Amino acid sequence: MFCLIISLIIFITSISSLNNEYFFLKKNLNELLFFKFFFAMLSFFSLIVLFINSEFSNETVLNNSHISKPLFYKISGTWGNHEGSLLLWLLILTFFAFFYFLKSKNRPTDERLLTIIFQELIILGFLFFLLKTSNPFNIIYPVPKEGLGLNPILQDPLLAIHPPVLYLGYVTTSIVFSSSLAGLIKGNINNLWAKDIKKWVFISWTFLTLGILLGSIWAYYELGWGGFWFWDPVENISLMPWLSLTALVHCVLVLEKRSILHSWTVILSIITFTLGICGTFLVRSGILNSVHTFANDPERGLYILFFLFFLIFLSVLIYFIYEDKLELNNKNLNFYSKETSIILNNWFVMYFLSVILIGTVYPIFLEVISNEKISVGPPFFNKLIIPFLIPFLIFMSVGPNLKWIKNDNFSNKIKLIIIFILSIVSSILVSKFFGNTTLNITILLVACFYLFFTTIKDFMKKNFKNYAQTISHFGFSLLVLSILMNSIFSKEITSNMRVGDEIKFTDKIIKLQKLENTAEANFLKLIAYFKIEEKNKTDLVLEPEIRIYDKPETITSEAAIKTDIFKDRFIVVNLVKENEYLNVRYQEKPFMVWIWISAILISLGGVINIFKKNEKPIL
Amino acid sequence: MKIKLIISIFFLFFTFFNSSISDELKLENKINKNLRCLICQGQSIYDSQSDFAESMKLVVKQKINSGMSEEEIYSFFKMQYGEWILYDPQFNTKNFALWLLPIVIFLVGGIIILAKFGVLKKR
Repeated sequence: MFCLIISLIIFITSISSLNNEYFFLKKNLNELLFFKFFFAMLSFFSLIVLFINSEFSNETVLNNSHISKPLFYKISGTWGNHEGSLLLWLLILTFFAFFYFLKSKNRPTDERLLTIIFQELIILGFLFFLLKTSNPFNIIYPVPKEGLGLNPILQDPLLAIHPPVLYLGYVTTSIVFSSSLAGLIKGNINNLWAKDIKKWVFISWTFLTLGILLGSIWAYYELGWGGFWFWDPVENISLMPWLSLTALVHCVLVLEKRSILHSWTVILSIITFTLGICGTFLVRSGILNSVHTFANDPERGLYILFFLFFLIFLSVLIYFIYEDKLELNNKNLNFYSKETSIILNNWFVMYFLSVILIGTVYPIFLEVISNEKISVGPPFFNKLIIPFLIPFLIFMSVGPNLKWIKNDNFSNKIKLIIIFILSIVSSILVSKFFGNTTLNITILLVACFYLFFTTIKDFMKKNFKNYAQTISHFGFSLLVLSILMNSIFSKEITSNMRVGDEIKFTDKIIKLQKLENTAEANFLKLIAYFKIEEKNKTDLVLEPEIRIYDKPETITSEAAIKTDIFKDRFIVVNLVKENEYLNVRYQEKPFMVWIWISAILISLGGVINIFKKNEKPIL
Repeated sequence: MKIKLIISIFFLFFTFFNSSISDELKLENKINKNLRCLICQGQSIYDSQSDFAESMKLVVKQKINSGMSEEEIYSFFKMQYGEWILYDPQFNTKNFALWLLPIVIFLVGGIIILAKFGVLKKR
């Protein structure tokens, strides 16, 4: 136990020596960074060991674990709480600081050192935060016999990997942030810098995409609402850095190829990282009213708020001091060029970002100012985002078909027009075939199909090399398309049932056959057996569960989902109090699996980009 | 911009459900999705199974059966519990910034981009 605290002390000293003596220790920096990473790892693994052994003398373990919990969740419980997850955050931060230093040998030394200093600032901030407000190694005496247990909805394999993946994404943005500030001070922001930082941007973007996807899948089957995105504040907060990263991903490409948009790239890097910290602040402080709020404490919130303001202040200051060092150039921008379409992309993405930011933060401000509470929910976001998606999708399909600098002859023009007509026809067909759609949906469908077909066309092009971009864009069109189909064609029924009851739903009969009680290691479960009969098809048996956990005492519903290519069948039951009925909700959600597939495709594009060799810039 | 807003509002009206379910049920689900469950953490009463949400759902059903329109039901709940209960914020003096700010930002962004092109053209 005590060795851990000592390790933390060594940890601090190594960092402070790093900060003070960086000029003298240039050569040893590598080792110091490694030591720091090593000690962070040591403390993290000791925390895992404590969790595995259920050492309830440790406060964190006491609050988030108990003896009868399965081993897997004992381990994942390490980062399923505030203190542990911060330690994980720190571990990843130190790892990336070390890794960056190893991998950036081709950058100027002073720029690397400056990057590391900014990185150390961030690490220091979080380390003090950890030690001051949320030390994972607080000791409790006398030693309690049993822990309080981990929130059951967090006991899930997907949620075990969701935070680390998301953190990998967040933390890499800090490297982008530090590096862009360092580059700014040294006047190194140019196309070569963009080439080097690009990898980091893509790493971060890929992990963030995957992290959000995992969280979304988890919400789909675990929270039992049958939805995958709720415009919940915490989800919005994870989406905001993703959006600005998406803008950055595109913008950094322009900087690399054309050596324009220097200042915008720096601003975007700053925005991305601050949004990440801002997200941590809003989640941890408990200001937001969200299903995800499971760790909050005003003191913590205050600390992060100060830290956030400090970072924003620092970066803005640095930006304005060193702004003149940025290369200004007035290269001619042609309207029909790839860079223009990327600027348009940035414009729309920033708009989406502002919608989400304002929608999330506005209610907080309103409450502070006028003491009135309002809710901003899905209808708001849908109304403001969906109409803008239509031009966005069209730019997204035309843009990649334009050339850098200038497009003189439109060799693709005819093809693009043909595809446009094709997409109009197919969306009309879809609307006619399924009926019940409106003009507006049809227009959105046209835009979706347009991107869909253009990307397919791009795949089939001869001597085609830009797989990464096309895959991601294709994935995005598929994503919007499946979300759209899903929201139009979802069907559902809710009813109260007893054993032996049956309900009719379209051409199906849903029967509740029997209930069964069983006891598991750390919960009791009630399984309901449903049979779904459909004409000319084999019967389907679905087994949703209700789980009653004892530590902490919670009742959760586990949905039963039957996934196939075209639709998900989703059934969830709840206990209705004071009688023996079960509340049953049965949903048919078309193209559900395609939403996940398309998100995987989107991130696959990022993965390809990470491993792709660099191309020469066109200046 | 106004037209776009109107279009999108219309769009939403029709997005939610398919015709195989009766219109009344559709309306009921839509209203349920737009009402916040006051004792839960960020769930609509549609998604929640708490006692409060269940009784709210019953109230919504009754109101629909008694012939109240969607807007009337919203204003009824607003009277009872305040604006907090509505997930779809209304456009009024308090909230106009909420609705207009993103669009203003969009326009400003557009102006900046246009200016960049414009300045370049002069040279």
